[in-house]
Amino acid sequence: MKTRVLAAMSGGVDSSVAAALLVERGFEVVGVTMKLLPRAETGFGCCGSPSDVEDAKRVCDGLGISHYTADMSELFESKVIRPYVEAWLSARTPNPCVECNRSVKFGHLLGLAEAWGCAKVATGHYARLEDGRLLKASDLDKDQTYFLYSLTARELARVDFPVGGLSKTEVREKARALGLRVADKAESMETCFVPGRDVRGFVESRAESVGSSALSTGEIRDTSGRVRGTHSGLASYTIGQRKGLGVSSPDPLYVVRLEPERNELVVGGGDEVFVHSIVVGALSWTQAAPCGARRAEVRVRHRHPPASAELAPRADGSFSVCFDSPQRAPAPGQAAVFYEGDEVLGGGTILNGGAS
Amino acid sequence: MTYLDHNATTPVRPEVVDAMLPWLREGFGNPSSVYSLGQKARAALERAREQVSGLIGASDPSEIVFTSCGSEADVLAIAGGAWQGHDESKGKRRKVVTSAIEHDAILLLGPQLRRRGFEVLEAGCGPDGVVAAAGMAALVDASTAVVSLMHANNETGVLQPAAEMMAAARAHGALAHVDAVQSLGKLSLDVESLGADLLSLSGHKVNAPKGVGALYVRRGVRLSPLVTGHQEKNRRGGTENLASIVGLGLACELAGRELSGASAHSLALRQKIEAGVLVLPGARLNGHPQQRLPNTAHFSFEGLDGHHLVVALDLEGICVSSGPACSSGASTPSHVLTAMGVDSKLATGSLRVSVGWGTTDADVDRFLAVLPKAVERLRALPAAL
Repeated sequence: MKTRVLAAMSGGVDSSVAAALLVERGFEVVGVTMKLLPRAETGFGCCGSPSDVEDAKRVCDGLGISHYTADMSELFESKVIRPYVEAWLSARTPNPCVECNRSVKFGHLLGLAEAWGCAKVATGHYARLEDGRLLKASDLDKDQTYFLYSLTARELARVDFPVGGLSKTEVREKARALGLRVADKAESMETCFVPGRDVRGFVESRAESVGSSALSTGEIRDTSGRVRGTHSGLASYTIGQRKGLGVSSPDPLYVVRLEPERNELVVGGGDEVFVHSIVVGALSWTQAAPCGARRAEVRVRHRHPPASAELAPRADGSFSVCFDSPQRAPAPGQAAVFYEGDEVLGGGTILNGGAS
Repeated sequence: MTYLDHNATTPVRPEVVDAMLPWLREGFGNPSSVYSLGQKARAALERAREQVSGLIGASDPSEIVFTSCGSEADVLAIAGGAWQGHDESKGKRRKVVTSAIEHDAILLLGPQLRRRGFEVLEAGCGPDGVVAAAGMAALVDASTAVVSLMHANNETGVLQPAAEMMAAARAHGALAHVDAVQSLGKLSLDVESLGADLLSLSGHKVNAPKGVGALYVRRGVRLSPLVTGHQEKNRRGGTENLASIVGLGLACELAGRELSGASAHSLALRQKIEAGVLVLPGARLNGHPQQRLPNTAHFSFEGLDGHHLVVALDLEGICVSSGPACSSGASTPSHVLTAMGVDSKLATGSLRVSVGWGTTDADVDRFLAVLPKAVERLRALPAAL
């Protein structure tokens, strides 16, 4: 009997080709599209919007495999959207893709796959697996391991990334060769549940239920304490941001840190956003956790070139990360991901990142 | 494959397919044509009309109007009846009374009628899924154009007080419509004892193909047509879907001939299903325990999503549904279970099993063998929140 694999299909080219490759490799492939957004909010081209579901269904029709939808909108709301809004409202910069992978795609969906008798869950992520180890994608430009660090050894044994060894160009070629109608579909780059890239508008629309001062105006000061202007609410800013400060200055100014207690935004020159060290909490390791301090290359945002650093456990279970050379603008709420060469060792959430 | 979703659709019987084929091949004539090719087609059409009228006790075959489906029959009855009643009463009749557990074809017509100035009232149902006849009858008055109630609910299979409601309708001079799509071929149906002016039925629920339905229209009852044209005595235009109509005719004849045996067979299978399912922990039966179609069992399982259960069973080659086929995909509780006051978590964990022509003991055994493990595996999932 063929091994059954669940292919998570967004309706995009990567997950479509991933499913096709699994069919070619002889698996019994079951396509699933997760409905992540409540009905009223779908329709602007994100995961699980009606047109994406249609695309995924048609790809499955073409591959001759079953396709189902799985409504995970409540889970997505509680584990991804709500924490996202809360993070902005507490002056942190959230990383919803990490949370979605952790709780939804490789959390609940993995469980559902098991209940459906599927040996693995496959996605269209650009990442590779080798002997249960998580490695960067062959196409470093597309590498998505930054968003996958929370996968544990147990989960890694039950996932598959069929396109991780291909370049995006190869994936599109493969899609065309297979006659997939999604071959030239545009890439989704934005936060899937925020309409029109309007993060502030989205946070405001959700803020009522949370209640926060992070939407109130306050003072902008520079690092010497001088008032430089007025900010529109800390929820609109992230560390390292330059645009939209509304402060005139001969030299460019950047957000250096957010101080929610005083509702102040602190700005400074370009050199002031570099930090030597950060503290990382909520750690997750792809293999066994390190026993003590160790070296690693650390990414503090997607596409950030990994920087050499010393990781050291702290008494409270968090880790300190001391960079060999200062790194630009790590933001609390974002992930810090640890690598050794191509391998992802693990990562966590940046707790403090402000200038030190 | 084990098919246990006969309320969604049914297999077309081979003898029905055989009866249809000549009308797709050499007998392709238009029933309205003068020459003999057309006359033969017309004769086949009229024969089918007789077969359909025979199954529902219509006094004259001309009371059968063929439509494209059950939904069209429902809308022709209610919208066509409401417009006609409104006009004939010079605007006095502008109310439609129906129930909250009707098929979507009817529920989604409500807003359309309201936008055109009609008042549309939906009677609720009890926890057993039965619409309270007295409460619904109280909504009917001299301003009512149409009263519509389903004969049996498509999800739960629960039988409704259709005859009582038809009497209430006629007492106030309103048109009395029964949606019998789900009960045709499963129960004996008689338009006279029901007291119906209008009764809808559908081909694909009785082992005829999809794309054909019919509306019984009592002689003397006038409707505003939805599709204008001279066919079907000006009640439904469009060249007749002859092959499918022939199929519907034969399917009705077969259903009538085999009704008592088929009902007993279905009931025995249903009882076996219920006995096997209800021993599982956290399983319960929805709807009135007795007053139900012989072929339909509707369950709720605590702590799981019925849609996920349907997928799990499909992956084992078993076809069942968690709600009406028309709304599959979203894990939202059905309007019927909501109207019954079933807790939304339990309603989400629902499963409908419906047997029919061709269902065997072995099908039921296989379902009962696979179900417990699927339920157990899904229950082991951490709660989604």
